[in-house]
Amino acid sequence: MDLESNYEIARTAKFISGGGFTRVALQFPDELLKDSVRVVSVLRDKLRRLRESQSDSDRNGDVKDVSLFVMADTAYGSCCVDEVGASHINADCVVHYGHTCFSPTTTLPAFFVFGKASISVSNCVKKLSDHAVRNGKPVLVLFGLEYAHLIQQIRDEVVETCTSSSGLEIQFAETMSSDMKPSESHKISNGSSEPASVFSDDKCIRTVAGNRYSIGGLVWELREGHKMEDYLLFWIGSDNAAFASVVLTFNGCEIVRYDARSNCMVTDLSQQRRILKRRYYLIEKAKDANIVGILVGTLGVAGYLHMINQMKELITATGKKAYTLVMGRPNPAKLANFPECDIFIYVSCAQTALLDSKEYLAPVITPFEAMLAFNRGSEWTGAYVMEFQDLINSSPLVSRNQSKEARFSFLKGAYVEDFDIQEDDEDKEGDLALANATEKALQLRDNPNSLAKQPARSGAEFLVSRSYQGLDILNGNTLPEPYLIGRSGRAAGYKNEKSGEEKL
Amino acid sequence: MVKFTVEKLRNIMDYKHNIRNMSVIAHVDHGKSTLTDSLVAAAGIIAQEVAGDVRMTDTRQDEVERGITIKSTGISLYYEMSDESLKNFKGDRQGNEYLINLIDSPGHVDFSSEVTAALRITDGALVVVDCVEGVCVQTETVLRQALGERIRPVLTVNKMDRCFLELQVDGEEAYQTFQRVIENANVIMATYEDPLLGDVQVYPENGTVAFSAGLHGWAFTLTNFAKMYASKFGVDESKMMERLWGENFFDTATRKWTSKNTGSPTCKRGFVQFCYEPIRQIINLCMNDQKDKLWPILQKLGFTLKSEEKDLMGKALMKKVMQTWLPASTALLEMMIFHLPSPVKAQKYRVENLYEGPLDDIYANAIRNCDPEGPLMLYVSKMIPASDKGRFFAFGRVFSGKVSTGLKVRIMGPNYVPGDKKDLYVKSIQRTLIWMGKRQETVEDVPCGNTVAMVGLDQFITKNATLTNEKHVDAHPIRAMKFSVSPVVRVAVQCRVASDLPKLVEGLKRLAKSDPMVVCTIEESGEYIVAGAGELHLEICLNDLQEDFMGGAEILRSDPVVSFRETVLDKSSRTVMSKSPNRHNRLYMEARPMEEGLAEAIDEGKIGSRDDPKVRAKILSEEFGWDKDVAKKIWCFGPETTGPNMVIDMCKGVHYLNEIKDSVVAGFQWASKEGALCEENMRGICFEICDVVLHADAIHRGGGQVIPTARRVIYAAQLTAKPRLMEPVYLVEIQAPEQALGGVYSVLNQRRGHVFEEMQRPGTPLYNIKAYLPVIESFGFSGTLRVATSGQAFPQSVFDHWDMMSSDPLEGGSQAAQLVVEIRRRKGLREQMIPLNEYEDML
Repeated sequence: MDLESNYEIARTAKFISGGGFTRVALQFPDELLKDSVRVVSVLRDKLRRLRESQSDSDRNGDVKDVSLFVMADTAYGSCCVDEVGASHINADCVVHYGHTCFSPTTTLPAFFVFGKASISVSNCVKKLSDHAVRNGKPVLVLFGLEYAHLIQQIRDEVVETCTSSSGLEIQFAETMSSDMKPSESHKISNGSSEPASVFSDDKCIRTVAGNRYSIGGLVWELREGHKMEDYLLFWIGSDNAAFASVVLTFNGCEIVRYDARSNCMVTDLSQQRRILKRRYYLIEKAKDANIVGILVGTLGVAGYLHMINQMKELITATGKKAYTLVMGRPNPAKLANFPECDIFIYVSCAQTALLDSKEYLAPVITPFEAMLAFNRGSEWTGAYVMEFQDLINSSPLVSRNQSKEARFSFLKGAYVEDFDIQEDDEDKEGDLALANATEKALQLRDNPNSLAKQPARSGAEFLVSRSYQGLDILNGNTLPEPYLIGRSGRAAGYKNEKSGEEKL
Repeated sequence: MVKFTVEKLRNIMDYKHNIRNMSVIAHVDHGKSTLTDSLVAAAGIIAQEVAGDVRMTDTRQDEVERGITIKSTGISLYYEMSDESLKNFKGDRQGNEYLINLIDSPGHVDFSSEVTAALRITDGALVVVDCVEGVCVQTETVLRQALGERIRPVLTVNKMDRCFLELQVDGEEAYQTFQRVIENANVIMATYEDPLLGDVQVYPENGTVAFSAGLHGWAFTLTNFAKMYASKFGVDESKMMERLWGENFFDTATRKWTSKNTGSPTCKRGFVQFCYEPIRQIINLCMNDQKDKLWPILQKLGFTLKSEEKDLMGKALMKKVMQTWLPASTALLEMMIFHLPSPVKAQKYRVENLYEGPLDDIYANAIRNCDPEGPLMLYVSKMIPASDKGRFFAFGRVFSGKVSTGLKVRIMGPNYVPGDKKDLYVKSIQRTLIWMGKRQETVEDVPCGNTVAMVGLDQFITKNATLTNEKHVDAHPIRAMKFSVSPVVRVAVQCRVASDLPKLVEGLKRLAKSDPMVVCTIEESGEYIVAGAGELHLEICLNDLQEDFMGGAEILRSDPVVSFRETVLDKSSRTVMSKSPNRHNRLYMEARPMEEGLAEAIDEGKIGSRDDPKVRAKILSEEFGWDKDVAKKIWCFGPETTGPNMVIDMCKGVHYLNEIKDSVVAGFQWASKEGALCEENMRGICFEICDVVLHADAIHRGGGQVIPTARRVIYAAQLTAKPRLMEPVYLVEIQAPEQALGGVYSVLNQRRGHVFEEMQRPGTPLYNIKAYLPVIESFGFSGTLRVATSGQAFPQSVFDHWDMMSSDPLEGGSQAAQLVVEIRRRKGLREQMIPLNEYEDML
C-alpha cells in the first residue's frame, strides 16, 4: 500500500492546517520509525501545497510555516500521546501514528493515524456470518484500529450476505473521531475534581448513557433492553493489549477472535480467562501488603495526577504506607531496587496497565485492583475496569469501615490483623505520648542475631532491619588507608581474570 | 436423664470441688459415642422445660450416616453420690452432688484437631480401648496429647460383650487380653514422668480401670465387686480390690488365696473367679432364657427386675439384667469422680502448661487456685457455628474469675505479644451461655472451672483466644494449642455460577473459622484451595462449606491436589555463575543436599533462624558433622525465613559482600518458595555462595541488579545438582484379620505402598500392619481396601514424611517429568521447564 494513503497524509494535513497549528510533533512507535523521514517529507509537501492554495484564496499572507518534529522512543507506552516529549519542543499538537489506546490527553490536541493493515474481507465475512448463524445470538463486532479502514466494507458485505438468513443481528462498533481535544479533560488534571459531567463527552468514558459503550477508541450503542452479556463478541485483529483489555472488561461475554493474519478463528481463550483469575490472586496479595509503591506510568493521560492522589489517600486510609515512584517504563531490575515495596500500583493507560511477569519481585496491579484490595468490604463482582478515568467517578472513596474485625488473608490462609500506622499518630499528640514511646523502647527485642525478620511497615523500618546500612565510618582512625589497585578491563571479563577471557 | 432448671445447674457450677471436666478419647470405632450415650441416658442434664421433646444426642446428619463422630460435643452430667460410696473419698468436696462436663471427641485421625481443642478445656480423660483390638495408633496419639496437656487419664476396657458373646473366650484368656491392653496403655503413660501430675498409669486394683460394654450399657470397676465381696470375706475393700487383680488365685475347694496357680482345677485367678465368671454365668443364663435359674441369683445379688421386664427374652433380657446389676453410669461416673481431678486440683499443676506469663503474677495464682474472685482468665478453644448462619459461639473454659453477660473483655489472639497492640481487641460479651443437652441457656455469669459459650465475640476471635477483664492489661495469654496433624490434602474449589464468587469467599472465611485444621488459601493461578488433614476431613469440610456456609450454592471441586517439594540429590556438578542485568556483577553458587535429618530438625524448630548462631553452629557441628566455621556463616533460612533451605557464605575476601547480603537473601526467599522445576517449595537444599564479583560502584550493585541475579543463580545451582521432586508420604496403620491380609498387600502394592511392620495382636486373629503410602496414591484408598478385603480392613493414615522420588524430572518421559508437566499445567505455567541456560551465564 502506498505511503500517502497508509499514513493518511491528506487528512493529517487538513487537520494541521485546519487547526492552525504551527509546531507539530509526529509521534512514531518504534516499528514505524523507519518510515518517519518519508512521512515528514510527504507531509511537508502536502502542507505547503495546501497553504499555497489557501493563500491563493485568502490572500492573507500571514499563514506561518509549519514545523514538523519527529518523536520516537517514548518514555511510557507508545500507545499514549507523549505530551511531555511534545512540550519539549513547544508543540501545539501531536500526530500519533500506529496503535493507540485512545487515552484522553491533558493539554495538547492530538490526531491519530491508525495505519492500515490488510485483511481478506470475504473470508472474514464468511467466518463472521457462520459464527452468527451457528450461535443464533446477536453479534457485536469489535476490531483492532488498524482494520478500521475496512470495516465499512465488511459491514456492507455482511449486510448483503445476511439479508438472506433473516433474524440475525450483527452490530458493528465505530471508531471515535480521530482527533482529540484536551479542553474538557484538562480540568481534572488540575486537581479540581469536577463531577462526572466533565466526562459527559463521549470520548472518555466507557459507559456514558445506559447503553452506550466505548473502549480503546471504539464506540457502540446497544439496543434498548439488551445487556452486553446478551451479545457474542467478535474481535477482528491480533492478540494484543487492546484485545486483552476487551476480554478483561467484558469477561462475562463470549468472545471469539478472528486473526486477520492467518485468516482463522481463535475460540480458545482459556489463556485470557486465566489472566483474570491471576489478577484476582494479585488483589488478594495486595491486601496483605504493608508498603505500596505507586508507579507513575504516564504523564499524559488525563487525570493521572488525580488518580495518584486518590490512590495515596486510599492507601494511607487503610493504614499502609505509600511511596510514589517515577521511573519511566518499569522493568524487573528497576522495581527490584525497591525491595521494601510489597506491591506496586501502576497508574497508566488501559493498554499498558497489565504487567504480569513472573520476573517481578513484587506484583504490579492496576488502580482498579488496588481499589478492590484496599477498600475493606468491596467485593469482586466480576466487573473489571481497565481505564482509571472511569474509576475517578464511578467509585468515590468509600469511607473506611471502622469495624476492626480481623481480615482474612487468603495467602496465609488465616485471619490476620493489619497494622495501623494512623493509630500511632494519634497517640503522639496525647498526654501519654512519652509514656507510650518509652514503653515501646523497653519492649523485648528479638535476638539481634536472628536471621528472621518481621514484615516492615514503612521504608525506614525496612532499611533499619537490613543487615547492611551503609559505610562504617571509623571515627577514631585518622590514618589514611593504603591505596589499592582496582580492577581494570570490561565487565565481561576483567583483566585479572585471564581464564574468563580465554573462554571467550 | 436428669431434669434441671437453669438456676439449679448454675448453682452447682459454684461448687468447684464437685466439678469434673473430662473428655472421652479413643481410637475410631472403639465405642466412645455409644458409651457416652449410655452415660447421657442415665445422668445427662436437660432443661426442665424441654424435657419432653429433646432427643438424647442430636447429632449431625453426616455423623449418623457415616457412623462416626466428626465434631466434639459437650454434655453436662449430674450425679449424686451416696454417702456410703463417698466414705473413702479423700479429696475436698462440697456435698454429694457432682457436675460432670463431658466432651465426646471424634476418634478418626482426620479430626484430631477436635480432640486437641477438647483436651485443652478438660482436666481428665476417659480413654476407651476396645478389648479385642487393643491400643491402636490413634489411642496412642491422643493419649500422648492428653498427657502433654497434663490431663489425667482413666481407662475403660470397652466392648466386653464381645468376649462373652462373639469370642466366647474363657476367663484366663480374657484376663490376659485385658492385662495386655492395660499394659500397652501404661507403656505409653509411663513415658510421661511428671512430678506434679504424679503417676499417671492406670491400675485395675486402684479402680482407675473400668470394664465396660457400651452397647449394652453396663460397666464395672473392681470397686463394685470388692464392695460386694468385702463383707463376705470379712476383709476391707482395698484389700479385696488387690485380690481381684493380678497374681492372686483362689481355690474354691480350700477357700484359700495363693499368689500362684496351684494347678488344682478349682483354683482360679481372683478376677476370673469373682468377676468374670459370675458375669458370664448371668449372661449365659439370660441368653439361654433359663429364667428359673436366673431369678434366684439376681435375688442373691440384691436386685430384682420389674414384672414387665421379666418377660423379656434373650439379648434384651441380658441387657436389662446387666444394666440393672452393673449400670455403666454408676461405675464410670464414680470412677471419674474418684480418680479424675476437680478443676481446683488440676489447675494447680496445669498452670505451668497453660499460662505464658510469669508463674508468680496474680493471673498465674488465680489460675492455680481456681479463684472465682480472681481476675478473669478464659481460654476459647473452639468456634461453634450457631444456628443463625454466619455467626459463631466462642466456646471455652473459665480458668479463673467469672465471666458474665455484658462484661468488657480483652481478647488476646494467638499472635498477641504482651505490650503490643497486635491481635488485641476489647469487646463486650453479649451473652454468656451454658449448654444444657443440645440447647443453650443464657445465664448471668459462669464461674471458673466450667465451660462456657459466648455470643458476640465471633468477629474478633479467629480460632482461639484468651480473654481477660478489660482492665487487666498486663495479663499474658494462655498458651496456644499445638495440633498434631497438618493439612496436606488439598482441593481447588470454584463456584459453578461465577456470580457466586463473593459467597464462596465469605464461605471459605467462615469455614476457616469453624475448624482450626482447615486452611483456605489462594494459589498463584487464582484458584481457591481448601486443605484438610485427610480425605474424609476434606469431604466433611467441603460439605459444610456448600451447605452451611454458602447456603447451598453449588461449588465445583477439583481432584485432590498434592503439594510437592523440590530438592537436590547431589552436589552441583559445577560452580554455576549468573550475571546481573547490567552484566557488571557475577554470583557463583553451588547447591548441595542437606544432611539427613537436618531438614526435619529445622521443621521441628531444633535449628532455626532465631537461634543464637553459636548454639546453632554447635548443634550443626556435633549432630550433622558441619565445619564449625561454615556453620557460623549461614546467611538465612527460607522460604518464609524459616524453611528448610539455607544460604551459606563460602567466599573468602570478597569486597562489598555484606552490602549485597540483603539482596541475595531476598532473592533466595523468592526462589526457595518457587523452585525451578514446577514452582513448588524447595526442601533440604544448601546453597553455597562460592564467589562474587561486584562492580566497584555501589549504584551498580543495588537490589535491582542483585535480587534477580541471586534468584537466577539459585535456580541454576538447583538444576545442576540433580534436582528431584519430593512427595508427601502417609504412615498407614491397618488392622485386618489374617484372611484379609492378601487383599491389603495387593492394594498397597498397586499404590506404591510398602509395609514395614506386620504384627499379630496377641490373643486375637487380628494383624496390625504399618506401611508407608504416598499421599498422591492415597485417594480412594480406604474404599479400595474395603472392597479388596470385603470390609474387614480399616486404615488410618497420617502424614509422616517427605520422600524423594527417584526418577529424574529432567529426563523426558520419566514419572517425575510427567508430574512436573502436570503441576506446571495446573499452575498455568509454560509446560516446558525453563532450560538451564536461561539461568546460567558464561563469562
